[in-house]
Amino acid sequence: MAYKLVVYKELCHGCGNCVVACPVNASKSTEIAGGKGPQEDVGQILIVEDGTIELKDLSECNNCATCIKSCPVNAIAPEEV
Amino acid sequence: MIANEKSAEGKSMSIKRDAAEKRELSFKDEVCIGCGICEQICPMDAIELGPIGAIVKEKVDTSKININEDDCVLCGMCSVVCPVEAIDFTIDSKPIKEIEDYPRLIKSITPEIENCIYCGACDIACPRDAIKVIRELPERAKLVTGEIELDKDTCVSCRICEEMCPADAIHLEMQTPTSSSPEIASDIIVDKDACVYCGICKRVCPVDAIKVICKICPYGEYEIEEAEIKGDLIIDEDLCINCGWCQEICPKDVIKVEKPFEGELIIDQDDCQRCGICIEVCPCNVLSFPLSESGEIADELYKDEKYCIYCGACQNICPVSAIEVRRTGLNVTPTKSKAWQKAIESLKLPEGRSKAK
Repeated sequence: MAYKLVVYKELCHGCGNCVVACPVNASKSTEIAGGKGPQEDVGQILIVEDGTIELKDLSECNNCATCIKSCPVNAIAPEEV
Repeated sequence: MIANEKSAEGKSMSIKRDAAEKRELSFKDEVCIGCGICEQICPMDAIELGPIGAIVKEKVDTSKININEDDCVLCGMCSVVCPVEAIDFTIDSKPIKEIEDYPRLIKSITPEIENCIYCGACDIACPRDAIKVIRELPERAKLVTGEIELDKDTCVSCRICEEMCPADAIHLEMQTPTSSSPEIASDIIVDKDACVYCGICKRVCPVDAIKVICKICPYGEYEIEEAEIKGDLIIDEDLCINCGWCQEICPKDVIKVEKPFEGELIIDQDDCQRCGICIEVCPCNVLSFPLSESGEIADELYKDEKYCIYCGACQNICPVSAIEVRRTGLNVTPTKSKAWQKAIESLKLPEGRSKAK
């Protein structure tokens, strides 16, 4: 009953809310914490690429669900694996 | 080998085994706070904490823990250390908490009802809605004494007294005047059970139609009944998590709370990203963001350990490992079993999930 994040790219508007809301992302880069998109790969969990969300590295995700809450179009969900 | 049998009911579940001894474990999801102590102590790694963040944000509807029936050996350790009675465990239908050979957490809530003034502060402050204060107030009419007299012939039905009366004790029956009944009010009624003889109506009446005498000052209070407030304090011990809010907020020291764990809650304010998931997860309302100006980011995560039970839920959920819960004391009844002593003692080790990752 392990859960992990799943993204639905077809729903994503590419707003980037989740990227800056994610506390792990924010802890890795002051740019992200400040609300700006990341300029380089610093091991973020989520990133917007070519207008849609991309899951990068889930190893540090602790299922806090902040990204899910910040998504206006329900494009992120925790799913059983 | 006799296999364990699992059954689920909604988000709750039970696992049992009928062998020489009949052992049964049942998990109540609605009581569980998702702290993960059971997962930490399970010697078989049979318990897995669910996606607590998504559950408290109501983004997923699933059990807070899952117990793998093939790995579970029905030892009962999870039940013994659960700080909120979310896991019941019985051996031959007898609860493990009533079997002397097994240890049990010492925790309690004790009200001294005779000192209670039924102010209701505990009812409002309890984070789990585990306390209800019910009260019966004395009749207002019995706490005042006086006389009020209204001269209906002098009254011009201006309604000023009705509007000004702080006790809503005066009511005018208004009507549209007709040729046969050419008054704007058919009657004026003073509710003597509501009147407190304050005299405001008398002072505002433009035609001096009202006479009021309050007798409390000239006669003293001896004529008046003692204001007796009756009530009751109802504590739901299944919901109570011994956080201590009621004890701390009570102005009369009516409630005494004994907590299962002692410890320290350490927040690294530099690592904290102010995401607030710990605040949402904490069952004891220990954590909060101080009110800040609109648009400003909270200075820091505020904590008050008076209310903390050191369950570790915040440490487990923190995505950036900014919180550490260090349990230094465990209030447990003694046991002779070395294995149990060791397992319980292991809860003191600072090895929560987030640190282990």
